[in-house]
Amino acid sequence: LCVAVKDNLCSYWLPTTAGSLALSNFHSPYNSTPLRLLLRAHAHLLGKTNMDEFGMGSFGVHSASGPVQNPRWEGRVAGGSSSGSAAAVAGGLCDVALGTDTGGSIRLPASYCSIYGLKPSSGLISRHGLISYADSLDTVGLLARSVRVLQRTFGIVNEWDEKDPTSAPKEVREAAAQQARERLQELGQGVTGLRVGVPAEFCPSELSASALAPLRTALRALRAQGAHLIPVRLPSTPYALSAYYVLASAEASSNLARYDGVRYGFRGAVAREEERGDTARMYARMRTAALGGEVRKRLLLGTYALTADAFDNYFLQAQRVRKLVKNDFDTVFRAPNVLSFPPSAALPGPNEQGVDVLLHASAIGPAPRMEDVQKQAGRELDAYVQDVLSVPASLAGVPALSVPVSGEGEGEGSVGVSVVGQWGWDELVMRVGEVIGDKIDD
Amino acid sequence: MLSRASCRVARLSPSGTRSYSVEATDERWPGWQPVIGIEVHTQIRARRKLFSDAVANFDARPNWHVSSFDAAFPGTLPVLNKACVDLGTRTALALGSQVHERSSFDRKHYFYADLPAGYQITQHYSPLATGGKLHVTHTHKQVKHGRDVRIHQIQLEQDTAKSTYHPGHTLIDLNRAGAALMEIVSEPDMRSPEEAGAYVTELRALLRAIGASNGNMDEGSLRCDVNVSVHRPGEYFGTRCEIKNLNTIKGLQIAITSEIRRHIALLSSGQSIAQETRGFDEDRAETFKLRSKEDAPDYRYMPDPNLPPLMISQDYIQHIKAGMPPLPSDIRQRLAEQHKLSERHIDVLMSMWEVSDVPFDGERRENDALSYFEEVAQGRSSRLVANWITNDLVGGLAYRGETFSPERLPAAHLGLIIDMVQMGDLTGLPSLLFSEPCSLLLPPLATSGRALLRRLLEEPCTSEPLSAMIDRLNLRSTGADGLQQFCETAITRLHVEAESARKGNTKVLKRLVGEVMKTSKGRADAQAAAVMLREMLGLPADETKS
Repeated sequence: LCVAVKDNLCSYWLPTTAGSLALSNFHSPYNSTPLRLLLRAHAHLLGKTNMDEFGMGSFGVHSASGPVQNPRWEGRVAGGSSSGSAAAVAGGLCDVALGTDTGGSIRLPASYCSIYGLKPSSGLISRHGLISYADSLDTVGLLARSVRVLQRTFGIVNEWDEKDPTSAPKEVREAAAQQARERLQELGQGVTGLRVGVPAEFCPSELSASALAPLRTALRALRAQGAHLIPVRLPSTPYALSAYYVLASAEASSNLARYDGVRYGFRGAVAREEERGDTARMYARMRTAALGGEVRKRLLLGTYALTADAFDNYFLQAQRVRKLVKNDFDTVFRAPNVLSFPPSAALPGPNEQGVDVLLHASAIGPAPRMEDVQKQAGRELDAYVQDVLSVPASLAGVPALSVPVSGEGEGEGSVGVSVVGQWGWDELVMRVGEVIGDKIDD
Repeated sequence: MLSRASCRVARLSPSGTRSYSVEATDERWPGWQPVIGIEVHTQIRARRKLFSDAVANFDARPNWHVSSFDAAFPGTLPVLNKACVDLGTRTALALGSQVHERSSFDRKHYFYADLPAGYQITQHYSPLATGGKLHVTHTHKQVKHGRDVRIHQIQLEQDTAKSTYHPGHTLIDLNRAGAALMEIVSEPDMRSPEEAGAYVTELRALLRAIGASNGNMDEGSLRCDVNVSVHRPGEYFGTRCEIKNLNTIKGLQIAITSEIRRHIALLSSGQSIAQETRGFDEDRAETFKLRSKEDAPDYRYMPDPNLPPLMISQDYIQHIKAGMPPLPSDIRQRLAEQHKLSERHIDVLMSMWEVSDVPFDGERRENDALSYFEEVAQGRSSRLVANWITNDLVGGLAYRGETFSPERLPAAHLGLIIDMVQMGDLTGLPSLLFSEPCSLLLPPLATSGRALLRRLLEEPCTSEPLSAMIDRLNLRSTGADGLQQFCETAITRLHVEAESARKGNTKVLKRLVGEVMKTSKGRADAQAAAVMLREMLGLPADETKS
């Protein structure tokens, strides 16, 4: 297996920059666990891939190393923040790439580059060695040109890690996997009897027509193979994007506080005379120089959200919304969420009214043109709106796979189809992806 | 003396805030009542740090015991050290606090060079335990005072790195970064600097006894922040000020006294107290302003998303209870009841025990004075053994400028010496006097038992059997014949005293006994010598001794 690794996953031999000037000279003293597991399985490390700085970005243009071109659709952005990983896979440089997904950072570039991008269930793949952006949302995931390669790589890195305190314990993994296996057996080899939910809230007004075509193709294919299509509702979806940005920015302001250049990383010019005895001023100057504009913006907003005055209205409120979003998913899914029950408790049976998976468009449109993005031709909030379809699965920690599906009349880029399952049901999600997805690579 | 003239009845204010005072006032500040609360930060005696597996050793060369997590390297995550939770729970149980079934960890943010991650992991919203109390007694101007000081809460948190300030630059040592701290916050129940000092002393002894901390204030493993306010009895509590980083009991008391006077001076002149955080200048014995309430930073407390809530079950609490070492009060009671030791013996043994090393991770203390005593006392008279230890062993070590350590004289050797003295193969002190450490009652007699002990202290680790050593050093006690010879020699040498004794002056007999002991190099039995001398001098047998 030839593997490319996103540059926010620590590697011992190659630098780890997270797309930032702050870590431009940083060499990690250890390997991140997912990389270590791949190397143990004799994978070949191609290199570290470009990314939006510290994971903050949706287009792949906010990097200290420059923007990433979309190899599949000329003149367009690759998407972010796993821009380099998606490009390396789409361009055929490697078999599989490690990426990370906090609010859509694997699924969006996968959609833009027309490849498969998997954000697994939270807590399955170790985060030890993943440079934190927002701990409660960060997930290590995979990008590839086929589901088969995804499955094979997933099998290598899907392991409990004692060094990651949020790594799901073995009993919990087993409980969910057990249920998923039983359901897979019921479905036989294909998807006969599969219950597919189509959430109404995932077709917002921003959605372009080109985004719906691949979704319709996928739904038709599933129905033709014996699946049932069921309209469902996830009423908290409109609030998810705001909640996501409040939480992600707040956690980022905490996680990036360590980048001061004192112990490692970019330090900049020596302290000036007026800064003597004033740590705060020195840190402010260094961090302003070392961190990019997008990062600084989010850190300031995140810091504000945590201040005593704002905490209740922003951070706490966002946590409440997050809980609602999680509940929405648990309500529509057929399978219970094993994380909601104590380890010893018996799990309830399936909700027969529920669905096995959800299907929706991965993005509101195809990849924008590079020149448009760099000139900021669109409205300022456009970049953030890209995430509206991907953040709910991030907030809930459920597995989501973006699948390349050719729609009719594709000219200027593609939009992928997202398959979302209950926590721990990654295998089923991948099987559905295999059924509906384009065969790019065999 | 405390005057009882100004006692008032407790009365709560309408809004329910505490404002009562039943205390009498102190003559140092008549008409005023100080209110004192203390936050104690103590390093938990665990081998490794709170969230990393680096060893917690702060005396090593700088930046030697630092894991990637401690230095806040990218991609590192906290892994909770269970031993710290064990010791925190032990502390909570020892103070009678309620251990919460669920507690959680939060991040407290501020930028400083000794805080690598830019935040400290602490327990702000939901601490490990709340409630509890510590009974504190102290004596002030010959009056004994006792009070239960209530505990507000106990929480676990990380320690910062150590900063050393030089002109022009600061050095940071990360050995301490991430070490486990326990913060014990008291209610503002204390009413005098002496009481505050007694509280810290008592708490420190408790923490050492249960193995939670070694409470070494010089090394910084126990630090105090104090909150002080004053008010007139019967009125609301006054505005308080916090004094940070007090590292000695004496300094604590001086700082509190100084702050009380400062408050009274301001209030008496019609000014109000600004709520401030202050430091203490030891040299000038006064507090100084560090920052005002307005300058206080906003720590932006955020629950740590990497650490799941700490769930503590009743089973776990029982397990910790079962493994709790005995408290000093329990030990004293056992020494008194089971071993029937006198209070003085107990005091000496306890003070020897109290200074022994506190083991890591809550393990049992070994090689301390008490287990040594227990070992020697096995199958022997406890009081006899206690006497040998507190008198001869401690005395012998003190003579050499050393403190007690069980390696100096193995328990087996001491036991053997005691047995031999009892059997008469060595001479010791008359058994009558073993009810009290008798070094104060009689002039030191040169007994061969004590001589052997001192010799063993000089040349430890001998593989020579004790018996052989005794003979080699010519310490074996004289038999009856030898004794007669020594007595006759003594009577001849000190003929003046002998004559005096024959005439009935029994007091001078001591000198003759002493002479016998001297010439026999302690090998004669003092009691037997006294009997024999009486016989020889024609004196009646002493009825008071038997």
